[in-house]
Amino acid sequence: MPQSQLQLDTLSPSTQVIRVRLFASLREAMGWDELLVSPSRAPATPFALWQQLQLARGWRQVQDAMEDEPRMESDGDDLPKGVQVAINQRFASSHTLLRDGDELAFLPPITGG
Amino acid sequence: MGNFRFPVFCISLARESIAPGELLDQWQDRLGFNLGETPAATSLFIGRVRGTTAAGLALEALELEHYPGMTEGQLEQLAGSCAERHGAQAVLVVHRVGRLHPGEAIVVVAVMADRRGQAQRCCQDLLEALKHEAPFWKREWAGGAGRWVGGNTPLERRPQR
Repeated sequence: MPQSQLQLDTLSPSTQVIRVRLFASLREAMGWDELLVSPSRAPATPFALWQQLQLARGWRQVQDAMEDEPRMESDGDDLPKGVQVAINQRFASSHTLLRDGDELAFLPPITGG
Repeated sequence: MGNFRFPVFCISLARESIAPGELLDQWQDRLGFNLGETPAATSLFIGRVRGTTAAGLALEALELEHYPGMTEGQLEQLAGSCAERHGAQAVLVVHRVGRLHPGEAIVVVAVMADRRGQAQRCCQDLLEALKHEAPFWKREWAGGAGRWVGGNTPLERRPQR
């Protein structure tokens, strides 16, 4: 899928639409930077969308490419250590309840400065 | 001094090369004009691109991605809380984005305060905060291949005396 292409998942019964954004290594591993997504189950949280969009697959690829770094896996109930969540451009918990129109971003480890 | 309010923030992202010396001169001139009297202590940090990758290869270029909007917002918030905590009077943060070459300045942080401790501690704290809490991502290019950097190195321990 070309990057920057917005897609609406119309199979979902939910009327909520969340704008999901990926950055850096995670974006390249998944092959998309932005999707409009309707959560497939309640409660709609960042972690639920992480599972729905199968982002763990991309995260595994990211980890494979960094063979000399310690691996940061998910413990099943939460995002892998190292991945942070932003809702409407503010850091947030992965279990925050999402609202219609929210902008949700999954951020791989930050390396600025 | 008029009714100018402390602290004063000057925060920006730069797409092109930055010249830290010129940047500082401009900042100080503008602050002197605004504040009337320049605070007694200034602390400065300039970060430059290293010539080798984390794996020890010769670095061709460093690419910096950011989250437009959130990155600027986080820098402002971090600068604000840091300046308040340390009683700093003015903060300058300029961070590069895009493609950089070895030796180029990647970040400039400068802090003015009445006392050296305030200026130095604020400068160091703000640099550490922005390295971990402002969304930037580095990709190292070497031998024609790019590799995302896995994480920032922790601050070095103080040398033993």
